[in-house]
Amino acid sequence: MKRYEVFLKKDGRDEYRHAGSLDAPDDELALVLARETYLRRAEGDRLWLVNRAHLVVGDTDFVAPNADKPHRHNDGARIAERRRRLREEGRS
Amino acid sequence: MTGPWNADIREFVLAFADDEHLMGQQHTEWIGVAPFLEEDLAFSSIGQDELGHATTLYAIVASDGDPDRDIGTGAGVDDRRLDALAFDPDPLRWRSSHLVEAVTDDWAHALVRHWLYDDAEQLRWELVADSTLEPLAGAATRAEREEWFHRRHADGLLDVLLPTPNAGDRLRTALVDLMPLAVGLFDPVAGEVQAVASGVAAAPFDTRMSEWVDRVRNRFGVDLPTIETPTPTGRTTRSEAFGPLLSRMREVLDLDPAAIW
Repeated sequence: MKRYEVFLKKDGRDEYRHAGSLDAPDDELALVLARETYLRRAEGDRLWLVNRAHLVVGDTDFVAPNADKPHRHNDGARIAERRRRLREEGRS
Repeated sequence: MTGPWNADIREFVLAFADDEHLMGQQHTEWIGVAPFLEEDLAFSSIGQDELGHATTLYAIVASDGDPDRDIGTGAGVDDRRLDALAFDPDPLRWRSSHLVEAVTDDWAHALVRHWLYDDAEQLRWELVADSTLEPLAGAATRAEREEWFHRRHADGLLDVLLPTPNAGDRLRTALVDLMPLAVGLFDPVAGEVQAVASGVAAAPFDTRMSEWVDRVRNRFGVDLPTIETPTPTGRTTRSEAFGPLLSRMREVLDLDPAAIW
């Protein structure tokens, strides 16, 4: 058996969304089985299946180093705090 | 009411309905015990489709072939009339083929029967696609919207499993077991002659049997022994498996025969 990742999209401007995964022996049966496992109630108009073996995967060790760089989270809070402080100093 | 409807046509449609009903019932009995989850869902969906076809065909019978009745989902027909046909306790009334009555307690037999039945079913619907009985022609069109998927499902599994040593042998054994029953699908049912004469069906079903046997040979890659057209019985006898099957189907109904559903 191979494992496939299932993506569905409604017609219109919605993007493809991950719906789940599926076990099947080959591509043809993956299509057949995905139709009944994920599209029984017309949940999408289009279907993508990706054999998980074909995914390019970044593991957690590869991804983790960027979790400790708060300066890249520029939400403006530090700048706003600095400007508020300068304004108050200017008034006093 | 117009259209060709009489006791013969009724028999003819009822036999088709019985086959669809029992085939659907048999498939649905794999719910929860099919070999893997995705197949469980797919196979029970296919069974549900066959039950839907049966509902439509019983509705044609229950409405006496009325072309103006909404029989697509059975909604235009009283449920109780459908149930009376679908769960008829009298074995003498039934016209099912022995193929759909048989017990298949292993997956190989269930899968082979699924392929054999659906391949023959395609030919059967084709024969009524231009039926003078309008609701039947409509049912044929709707059925084919689902049947292509049934065939693709069965073929997809056989494509993978037949070349596999152990699985392939089990499937070929199942084929040998089931072929004598499967040819019974083509056994002319009472009413077929009249159905053909009035244009309800384009031709007798058994005129398509040799084409179907060729397809079986090609599909399974086997030299089947010469298949004789079975002696017609009019499908009036039930196999040993029928009684227990009917009991399973009526299990809830029989708990309280007076209950209103």
